[in-house]
Amino acid sequence: MNLHDFFFGVYPYLAGTVFILGNWLRFDREQYTWKSDSSQLLSKKYMRVASNMFHIGIICIFFGHLGGLLTPHSWVLAAGITDLAHQYMAMILGIIFGLTCLTGGIMLWLRRLYNRRIRATSRLRDIFILGWIMATLLLGLSTIPVSWGHAGHNDPATMIALTTWAQSIVTFSPVPAAIAGVHLAFKVHVVMGMTIFLLFPFTRLVHVWSVPVQYLGRAYQIVRLKRVLAR
Amino acid sequence: MSNFLDRLKFFQKVKEPFSKGHGIVTNEDRSWEDAYRNRWRFDKVVRSTHGVNCTGGCSWKIHVKNGLVAFEMQQTDYPRTRPDMPNHEPRGCQRGASFSWYLYSPHRVKYPLIRGRLLELYRTERAAGKDPVEAWGAIQQDPNKRIRYTAVRGLGGFIRADWDEVNEIIAAANVYTAKTHGPDRIFGFSPIPAMSMISYAAGSRYLSLIGGACGSFYDWYCDLPPASPQVWGEQTDVPEAADWFNSTYIIICGANLPMTRTPDAHFAIETRYKGTKIVSMAPDYAEYVKFADLWMPVKQGTDAAAFMAMGHVALKEFHVNTQEPYFTEYAKKYTDMPMLVMLETDKSGAYRTGRFLRAADLSDKCQQTNNPDWKTLVYDAKGKRVVCPNGSLGFRWGEDGKWNLLPKDAVSQQDIDAQLTTIKDHDSVVDIAFPHYGVGEDPILKRKVPVRKVKTVNGEVLVATVFDLLIAQYGIDRGLGDDLAKDYDDARVAYTPAWAEKVTGVKRADLIRTGHEFADNASKTRGKSMVILGAAINHWYHNDMHYRAIMNLLHMCGCVGQSGGGWAHYVGQEKLRPQAGWLPIAFALDWQRPPRHMNSTTYWYFHTDQWRYERVDADALLAPTAKAAYRGYMLADYNVVAQRLGWLPSAPHFNKNPMDIVDAAGAQGAKDEAGISKYMVEQLKSGKLAFAAEDVDAPENFPRNLFVWRANLIGCSAKGHEYFLKHLLGAQNGVLCEGVEGVNSKEIKWHEKAPTGKLDLMVDINFRLNSTGAYSDIVLPTATWYEKNDLNTTDMHPFIHPLTEAVNPAWEAKSDWQIFKNIARSFSVLAEKHLGTRKDVVALPMQHDTPTAMAQPYGVKDWKRGECEPIPGKTLPIFKVVERNFADTYRKFIALGPLMNKLGNNVKGLDWNTEKEYEQLKELNHTITEPGISLGMPSLAEDIEVCDAVLQMAPETNGEVARKAWEALTKKTGIDHSHLFRGRHDEKIRFHDIVAQPRKIISAPTWSGIESEEVSYNACYTNIHEHIPFRTLTGRAQYYQDHEWMLDFGEGLCVYKPPVDLKSHYDVPASIKNKPYLVLNWITPHSKWGIHSTYQDNMRMLSLFRGGPYMWISEEDAARGGIADNDWVEAVNANGATVARVVVSQRVPNGMAMMYHAQEKNVNVPGSNTTGKRGGILNSVTRVVVKPTHMIGGYAQLSYGFNYYGTVGSQRDEHVIIHKIEDKDVDWLERELTPERESEPNPPGIKN
Repeated sequence: MNLHDFFFGVYPYLAGTVFILGNWLRFDREQYTWKSDSSQLLSKKYMRVASNMFHIGIICIFFGHLGGLLTPHSWVLAAGITDLAHQYMAMILGIIFGLTCLTGGIMLWLRRLYNRRIRATSRLRDIFILGWIMATLLLGLSTIPVSWGHAGHNDPATMIALTTWAQSIVTFSPVPAAIAGVHLAFKVHVVMGMTIFLLFPFTRLVHVWSVPVQYLGRAYQIVRLKRVLAR
Repeated sequence: MSNFLDRLKFFQKVKEPFSKGHGIVTNEDRSWEDAYRNRWRFDKVVRSTHGVNCTGGCSWKIHVKNGLVAFEMQQTDYPRTRPDMPNHEPRGCQRGASFSWYLYSPHRVKYPLIRGRLLELYRTERAAGKDPVEAWGAIQQDPNKRIRYTAVRGLGGFIRADWDEVNEIIAAANVYTAKTHGPDRIFGFSPIPAMSMISYAAGSRYLSLIGGACGSFYDWYCDLPPASPQVWGEQTDVPEAADWFNSTYIIICGANLPMTRTPDAHFAIETRYKGTKIVSMAPDYAEYVKFADLWMPVKQGTDAAAFMAMGHVALKEFHVNTQEPYFTEYAKKYTDMPMLVMLETDKSGAYRTGRFLRAADLSDKCQQTNNPDWKTLVYDAKGKRVVCPNGSLGFRWGEDGKWNLLPKDAVSQQDIDAQLTTIKDHDSVVDIAFPHYGVGEDPILKRKVPVRKVKTVNGEVLVATVFDLLIAQYGIDRGLGDDLAKDYDDARVAYTPAWAEKVTGVKRADLIRTGHEFADNASKTRGKSMVILGAAINHWYHNDMHYRAIMNLLHMCGCVGQSGGGWAHYVGQEKLRPQAGWLPIAFALDWQRPPRHMNSTTYWYFHTDQWRYERVDADALLAPTAKAAYRGYMLADYNVVAQRLGWLPSAPHFNKNPMDIVDAAGAQGAKDEAGISKYMVEQLKSGKLAFAAEDVDAPENFPRNLFVWRANLIGCSAKGHEYFLKHLLGAQNGVLCEGVEGVNSKEIKWHEKAPTGKLDLMVDINFRLNSTGAYSDIVLPTATWYEKNDLNTTDMHPFIHPLTEAVNPAWEAKSDWQIFKNIARSFSVLAEKHLGTRKDVVALPMQHDTPTAMAQPYGVKDWKRGECEPIPGKTLPIFKVVERNFADTYRKFIALGPLMNKLGNNVKGLDWNTEKEYEQLKELNHTITEPGISLGMPSLAEDIEVCDAVLQMAPETNGEVARKAWEALTKKTGIDHSHLFRGRHDEKIRFHDIVAQPRKIISAPTWSGIESEEVSYNACYTNIHEHIPFRTLTGRAQYYQDHEWMLDFGEGLCVYKPPVDLKSHYDVPASIKNKPYLVLNWITPHSKWGIHSTYQDNMRMLSLFRGGPYMWISEEDAARGGIADNDWVEAVNANGATVARVVVSQRVPNGMAMMYHAQEKNVNVPGSNTTGKRGGILNSVTRVVVKPTHMIGGYAQLSYGFNYYGTVGSQRDEHVIIHKIEDKDVDWLERELTPERESEPNPPGIKN
């Protein structure tokens, strides 16, 4: 097996397995560590802007990738979106939310490194995971000029290749060869992106799971059953 | 099962939704709730308290979980108060509630620690075949070896040791020292036994058995108010906190009730609900000010002036203009106001006040054959003649039945009417010179006083009553033709409110109103006016003037001894309620008497060489009217005189080993104590034997071994901290001057080069590694307050309370009792070979509450100056021979000895038999079964046995003993006191009783208050209500002090004396001269976040405020010095330097810097830029200064008693230079120890 096949045929499953088992185990065994580790209490300066920009950006990017990569090709076409329009959508939304996320992320990154109180209470993995996300984001943004070039030549092949590959992974019939020819920037971005899933259970990112979406439709009054103690 | 899988069942409906879907029922996991439930769950609850230094004596529930202390909470089961009063609880403060953190904190000493270099040296010697004592000797005799470990004291380098080895080293050091230098070179320091009596007794018992000296603490801490023994002959007795509630007018000064008396402050607040007025006199906006109706911010150190002015008002309105009948009756019966004082003339023929007229002065001696020199006289207005009333000191000893305060003529036992004033029937009016110390005012107040002529054996003399002298001295015009104050606004005349306004800054209107209201209230309530006072006014050099000014006011108003009235001084005295039961165990009186005691202030003043740096000129303190036989003497010289006259104790006693002195006497044919005593007198006279203090810097007179337990001597209470480091310990120090002043000493031999590192061995026994441990050679881990069984009492409440072993001492810690027991065991083994049985001589000063308090009735005669013969017990200490079988030390330690059977017990001059109690104790405690000297005696091997022995022997906890003690007193007074104990005669309080619930003690004659259903405990209650005399010369509360030195220093009557200029701030370091700096008065009050039940380095406390050392200054001073809040600043003067962050606050008045007490070196303390040494503590910039009037002895109430009378360690007159340190210049000294650094213990430029 060559390195390409490993990264795009095996690594996705490796990262996915660690992601699922890691989160499960951490949730079961380390309840007290299941938190966002917010440092807002220590310093609120610029926090509203930085944190909101970063979070809005990254949430949109996440769902953008999810929808863009995993929607079957036929559905997209059926919706009347041409491949080229698809690619322009991806690029334009990517630029908007990528830059939003980048701005917020840089502010958070500077805060984490240069605010003395935040720096003093930061663990290595806090600094590292933010750095990793930012690096992945920058790589993602760096693919846009390449894509723009492709689009200029009416050539959505790379995009089609990436969606084909992504869908092959989630359908458990991996075709690493599908993206053998894409620009290196895409490949590195994809590997780093998958690594985020690998690192996910070991960092503060686990707070993502606990987004209190149920609050949106929750009943007003919740009654908990009395706990049955040892009989 | 699994949090995750449980979550997957989240959507499973448990029941149908209700309320139209607005409510749902879930079965989500609730096990997370265990987290907070378990936090407050526990396995058992044990009763204990916080027992080194806290007056609270609070009952706490200690909650134990998994074998560890989890948390503590206030107990609420105190016995009730009387029906018309609020109850005691809840008692316990935030500091106490945070103590459990400390047990498992990083500060905890877990194992025995020893300075690595010392252990290395010792093991090398041992490996060379020497036995432990020889090994210790080999290290001490080689200065190069010794300095290896003494020079690095305070610089870390501890290693873990095992108990057996450190015990052996300590024992070897003690044996070597006793043998080579004398047992009186072994010293122990531990404070405030009342807080954990058995722990205190552990060390003091060991030291007393081997002949070591125990140092006092109450006087050293400057918590002893010398005015109390001066005026009442009473160490300190105060009302319980509940009695504040009985008061109807309270002035508070120098005691911050909500902060330092937290558990009891509620009584002060509750009494306001029934209309009691509270006046506060804090210079700063202290917490208690908030509870006051009136705040009179007095300039710090001038309280005496304010109280003199209030006294002026009370005297004028209630004694002169009108005579309030209650006040007059009180004055006649219970004060020395009617006593007659002889007038003397000085060289110029001017009159000054002399001594009290005595029975011996009259030709018929008032028919007194017993002690006529010690019986004072009054003029009986009924019989129109001078008579000798009952109750003066002379009646206490040598006769029975007349030592009482009944207003009777001692001869006829007929009622008399002691005349207060001769204003209406005087023989003449004369001008008397009263000394005065007002700044910029005439040093003499000439006042006209009506006098009476009396024929004495020395011809006719003029006498005046104390009352008349007092009125004159307070400047109240009586129409005698002198130009005195016509009204309160006359600022020319000292002690008027207008004058006091100038001095104190308090508005005269406030002084007039408060003085009037205080007296008016007392007249309407028969004395329910109270003054609560404390450290902040007691820690001054002239503290006795502050206190006597207050006592004067109280006596004028008949408040002392009345429930709800009198003084309430709460500073560290910690009433040791079962004192009479505890004393024999604590000082091994059950085996041999007397023990060696030493007044610590003098001890440290000499042995840390602070006397060499004395800048206060004793002559400048003398009154212009002084006889001043010792003019030209330094303060230290006065102390040498006091030691050789048998006034104050000494340690070491002489320049020779006391055991060698006995041997030498024996070689000269001395067979018994009398012979040895005679030999010593001859030797002293010829100069072959000398007091150690006369050459205190000679190596043969050094202290050699020091034990510190239950104390933080170096990090907290060492006034002159840097001098301790330099001279006592030989460590890195910050003393910034050379100390050349001592060359002028008349009595002490001068050594050009001051000795450093006098101590061979310092042992700290502690559960925390604080600054004392850091400078010690050996640190032993002891049990905390939750890990041992002990007894605790306080003056704040009338209960006796236990400390109980909630958990075993953690790690390798042991209780103090076990630690000293083990040291005693090791000592006994080594002593067998090296010491055997020796005779030791103890030089005992004339003691208060004994007949030796009648040593020199007329003036001071000094044998060394040829003014009299040296006579032990009269003009020289008493020499008592004690035989010590050193090898039996351990066996004696663990058993209650035979003298309890043979000699019985005593307290305060009352003796009783204890045979029955001793026999009972054998059955209760079991007896020693090991063969040896203690076979069959009651066991003291375990701490609960010791507690029970104390309780069994004390009248406060054993009704039968109370009966015996009261009957002994009845014999003296001739008054039946039996109603005071009758109801509780059969009661015996035992350790397990107080574990079940704190118990109220039984009234005992040890104390001047009583426990009853009618009144709360109140000081001097029995003096007033039982007519038991005060333990003074006159038997009354004394406005007037007639000892020659009292008169020399202008303190015959209370005068206002401004703070003393200690001159240490004259040395401004060159580096500071050219930048802004402040000169501020250095005030060291109690901390909100440390005292007394936990420590400032407790993380919970550090989190509350600034997290490290800090000092407070005012906003205006800060602006003047270019200082902003939280800046680093350095406080520096000739004594040293300390670095801290600054708190800039409106709370603080200008001219004052406050650094809280007991902020020490262990957390966040940088180096000082001036000294180059670790930044210091609050006492780095102080130096102790002794006061000659506190050295007086052998004279009625002015007689030495351990912690009772003697020099006090004041520190508030000090000034410092404060300047800002830029953040970049803060030096944390985080550098390696290099040989160069090690060889430079002094700051740059300091040679000596």
